[in-house]
Order: sequence, then C-alpha cells, then structure tokens
Amino acid sequence: MIEISGLTKTFGSGDSAFTALKDVTVTIEENEFFTLLGPSGCGKTTLLRSIAGFVDPTTGSLTINGDDILSKAPFDRPVNTVFQSYALFPHMTVSENIGFGLEMQNRPKSEVQSIVQEMLELVQMTALADRMTSQISGGQQQRVALARALAPKPKVLLLDEPLSALDFKLRKEMQIELKRLQHETGITFVFVTHDQEEALTMSDRIAVMNGGRILQIGGPREIYDHPAERFVADFIGDTNFVSADLQSVEGEAAEIVLPSGKAIQARSVTGGATSGKVTIAVRPEHATLTAPGALIDGTLQNIVYFGTDTHYHIETDANSTFVIRRQNQPDAAESQKIGDKVGISFNPGVAQVLRD
Amino acid sequence: MSSETQSSRNRWLLLSPALAILTLAAAGPLLIVVVYSFLTPGDYGGVIWQFSTDAWFNVVAERDFFDETIGLSDAHLSIFWRSVRLSLLTTIVAFLVGFPTAYFIATRPENQRNIWMLLIMVPFWTNLLIRTFAVMEIIRNEGVINSVLVGVGLVDQPIQMLFTDFAVTLGMFYVYLPLMVLPIYASMERMDFSLVEAAFDLYATRWRVLRKVIFPIVKPGVVAGSILVFIPSLGAYVTPRVLGGGKNLMMGNLIELQFGQGRNWPLGAALSITLLAIVMVALIFYVRSAGTEETPHG
Ligand SMILES: Nc1ncnc2c1ncn2[C@@H]1O[C@H](COP(=O)(O)OP(=O)(O)OP(=O)(O)O)[C@@H](O)[C@H]1O
Ligand SMILES: [Mg+2]
Repeated sequence: MIEISGLTKTFGSGDSAFTALKDVTVTIEENEFFTLLGPSGCGKTTLLRSIAGFVDPTTGSLTINGDDILSKAPFDRPVNTVFQSYALFPHMTVSENIGFGLEMQNRPKSEVQSIVQEMLELVQMTALADRMTSQISGGQQQRVALARALAPKPKVLLLDEPLSALDFKLRKEMQIELKRLQHETGITFVFVTHDQEEALTMSDRIAVMNGGRILQIGGPREIYDHPAERFVADFIGDTNFVSADLQSVEGEAAEIVLPSGKAIQARSVTGGATSGKVTIAVRPEHATLTAPGALIDGTLQNIVYFGTDTHYHIETDANSTFVIRRQNQPDAAESQKIGDKVGISFNPGVAQVLRD
Repeated sequence: MSSETQSSRNRWLLLSPALAILTLAAAGPLLIVVVYSFLTPGDYGGVIWQFSTDAWFNVVAERDFFDETIGLSDAHLSIFWRSVRLSLLTTIVAFLVGFPTAYFIATRPENQRNIWMLLIMVPFWTNLLIRTFAVMEIIRNEGVINSVLVGVGLVDQPIQMLFTDFAVTLGMFYVYLPLMVLPIYASMERMDFSLVEAAFDLYATRWRVLRKVIFPIVKPGVVAGSILVFIPSLGAYVTPRVLGGGKNLMMGNLIELQFGQGRNWPLGAALSITLLAIVMVALIFYVRSAGTEETPHG
C-alpha cells in the first residue's frame, strides 16, 4: 500500500519557481493497477519520480506499507521503474540487463541465473538472451525493460508511459501482456499515460491530473460516467456541456432545471454547489434523438456517418452545440435530415453535475 | 562492367590529395629519419653518406672506452625507463583528476557546461613555456608553496621539489590534463543519464553505478584521453628540460641532445625511431587490453 499525503514539489526558487505537484494525496492499494492520467506537463512523471526517489518533494509524506521512504535513497526503496526511454544498459546483453538488479542485491549466482531465465520466459525473450540491447527492436527493448524491473520482485512497479513509443498493434499486444504480468506477479503497478483509452482499458483505478493536482480518482467506469470536473469530462471521451439551474441536492440525486424549463434528475457531485447555476455533462451516446418538445430542442446541423455509429450535431435553442451518438443498425434508413427541428432526451441520472 | 573500374579509379583520384599529404608530411620525413639512422655522423653535425649500424648499436649498448668490452648503455636505458614511468604516472594522475572533473562538468546544467569547459581549456591555449614556468614559480625553493610552508613554520628548510621527477610529472600532468578531460567529457555528455537513474533504481550503490555503468560506457573516452596524454608525455621536451633541470632527462631531451651538442644525427634518428616504436608497442598493447570487453559507441 502506497500512502501519499500532501505531496508538493516546487522546482527552482524565487521568480523561476515552478510548482509541479500541488498537495497530492492518494492511497494506492496492494496489487492494484493504478493509472496516472493527464495532459503533458501535468506532473505525472514528477509524481512517479518522487515515489522512485529521483525527485525530492518539497513537503508531504510518502509511505510504502507503513515505511516512510522519503528519507531513503533510490537504491533503498522497494520499487523499480520502467523508464519511458527504457534506459537499457547499452554495454550489456539482454540477460545481463535483466540480472543487473539481482546482482546489485548480491543474490547468489545460481539464483540470479534461474530468475533471469524465468523472466526471459515471462516476456518471451529467451531466444534473444545473448543479444546486445542495441540489436533488438523497440518492442523487444520494452519487454527487456519490463523484465529488468520485475526481476527483483519489487513491491511496486512504476511505469512511465512505457508503451508510448510502440506502434498501434504492438501497443495493444503489450497492454494485454502488461495486464497479464500484473495479474501473475501480484505486484502493484503505478502506470503513467496520457492516452485515455489505454487508461480506461487497463486500470483498476485512475487518477486524473492537471496542473500538478489530482482532480479525480476512481474506477474507469466512474471516471467516464461521472466526471467530477469539466476538465475530467473533457479530457476523457467526448462530452456535451449544458448549463442548468440546480434546485436541490439529496445524496447522489440532484434536481435540475434545463434552459427549456424542463426539470430532470441528475447525479450530484461531492464538494459541488447545492443550488444556483451549474454545468452538467451528458455523454453523446447517453442521449437520444426524439421529436421536438423534449428536454432540449434544437436544429439538426450535421449528420456524420462513422460506420459503427452516426453522430448528430444539433444547434440547441440555447445556442450551443450538442452531439448525439447513435449506434447503427443494419440497413436502417436515415429518418432525419439536416435542418429538421429535433429534440434531445436522456434518462434521469445520466446527466452529471460538475464541480465549480 | 567498366563503370566499376571507373568508380574505383575515381575513388583513388578523390583520395589522392590526402594520400599526397600523408606521403609528404608523414611517410617522407619518417623515411629520411630511418635512412639517417643508418649513416655515419659528420664531425660538425649532419651526416656522412656512409652506411653504419653504430647508431643503432649505441641506442641500447656501449663499448667500454678502455677495454672495448660491450655492455648495456645504462644512461640510455634509464632515460627510456624514466620516460615510460613518468608518462604512465602522468596518465594515471591525469585520469584520476580528469575523470571526476569531466563528470562534474557533464552533470552541470547545460548552459553552465561550456563555461566550465572554457576554464579547462584556457591554460591549454596559453604558451607551453609560460605554463611550465608558472609551475616552476609555484614549486621552486623560493616559490609559492615553500614560502608559505616556511612562513607558517611547518618546515625549516624549503622542500626540494623543482628538478625532481615529481616536478616533471606535475608539469606534464598540468599541461596535458585538458587532453584527458576533453574526450572523457565528450563521451560522458553523450551518455544517457537516465542509465544512471536506472542503475540506482536497481539497487546499485553510487560506487557500483560508477564502476558498472558510467565507466564502461565512457571507456572509449578514457582510452582516447589516456592515449592523448601518454604519447606527448613520452616525447615531452620542454617540461622535463625546464622542471627536471639537467639531470632528469627524458627521451625528447636525449634526442635533442644528439642533434645539438652531441653532433650525432644518426644516433638522434635511431633514438627517434626507438621512441616511435615504444609508442606503437604501448598503443597496441593498450588498445588490445582496453578493447577486450565490448565497448559501445565505437
Ligand atoms: N527539474 C525540473 N526543473 C524545473 N521544472 C521541472 C523539472 N522537472 C519537471 N519540471 C516541470 O514540471 C512540470 C511537470 O513535469 P512532468 O515531467 O512531471 O510532466 P508529465 O506530466 O510527466 O508530462 P509528459 O506527459 O509530457 O511526460 C512541467 O511543467 C515541467 O516543465
Ligand atoms: Mg512524463
């Protein structure tokens, strides 16, 4: 279990001071696949490097299984890192790279050999064990980097965008392989990515970061269906934003009134307002196209056919754009045409009230 | 096809300026030196065109003045030995100081590195004699160090540093240090420092990171730096002359002596070739032993 609390990191001082992490508090459970997701420069790497010991946080605490590790040097921490650039030792073979951590722990030769063998099999690199690392492909280097970090059986494995350099197909393969490895080894994975799809498909929980802060932590479904902030809703998937009047909040249920005057139940957000003007988020696939006189009315602006589904772009009467995504049925004829007056409706509880 | 012979002819044509320079500047003079070493010395310098192997004989041996017995030339051999010994020592000290220096510079923020390199290089652009005399000023009996030591009362008598092997080594170390720092720094700057982090991450202590990761990766730079320091040290002339006084001769001085006061050009030529041979043997030996392990970056 990794407990991070009130972690802040400021680089530099005076005028050039830059705070890359702001009061980060998060608990990562044993054997969890935990993902840090956020745009470039939001502090993902800085947080990861704080855990690894390459960044010295300005304030805050960091414990692994109750042990304070902030005072420890990187080589004394029970964590291993898969670097974004792999950082394989160019003067060593594949086997020597994988065995490096074990040798540095002064394990007996025979044990090193058998673990290296086991790791080579795990990442399917046995055939290339004696190659120099400059003589293997990018995907293979990636697997060696993974095996090297896994070999000492750390409590926690930190992975900094390990798949970003791979092409699409290999990336998909490695995603599955990573999940399998995490499952088989039972090691806690802290995984960094800025690819939302990768985060949604692989993670047990996701922390969405922006500007050095963690905005929301939750399972993939929760993050996707119930984003707490505009940034989160916008960063993950496509979303429609609609302004509304919040009438009352009772637990998870919020009563809202839309600009059309229609009232509906939405999902409340913790730490948000309890009345007044708010923004709600509705996913394009959660809304349906109906006849006028619905929750929101508007004019059909554009119809875009995508094969699996069709996107309807609607200019609402409140002068904003709303997109509805509808899954296509075989040989269904298009019943609407551009310029038609249409209605937008969605079920109670689908709309998510956002913080701020 | 004729295009192949054409292209190979073109290649020779393109190479010819380089070949011409090599022939004129390297092979030609070398050949002259070899030829001179097999001639007879003239009475007032120069050579007489008469074949003789006396010069080569005199490189390592001498005929006793009185009873004509043949023995090893102790004077020459001890000078050879001192040259090799002091050059090795200079190279080792230059490495011990140069490696941390290069590491220090390579780990500074990027915009500061050039300033540090400049500081290392400035002495190198200064005249060799001036630098050597500066060292002399520091270590002579009335120099900076001894004045302080005597002044403070740490010693009664000035410590004799000038005109010793120590002085020669110190001088050569000071003069050739940039030649060690530069190539090591170059390979260190190219090194990916995330490798160092990776090693730390994998439980390597600082010393082991240095030995297992940094050193093997910058080894080509260390090899180059050692060669660049060792070779000119072996042939050094000014430094041993100024700092070693008349006593602590090195090969460069011995050779100069034959062409000057000694008036024995053939012996000078033979000694020059001996120096060259020592360099070649040392180089082959060194590169062989350094190259046994796989070195990256070529
Ligand atoms: N050593 C440093 N000195 C000063 N600023 C730094 C330093 N390291 C990182 N930063 C700044 O901190 C911020 C966060 O950097 P970080 O590398 O954590 O981002 P990231 O989320 O990993 O981005 P990316 O997805 O591009 O890798 C950036 O604005 C960066 O410029
Ligand atoms: Mg990063």
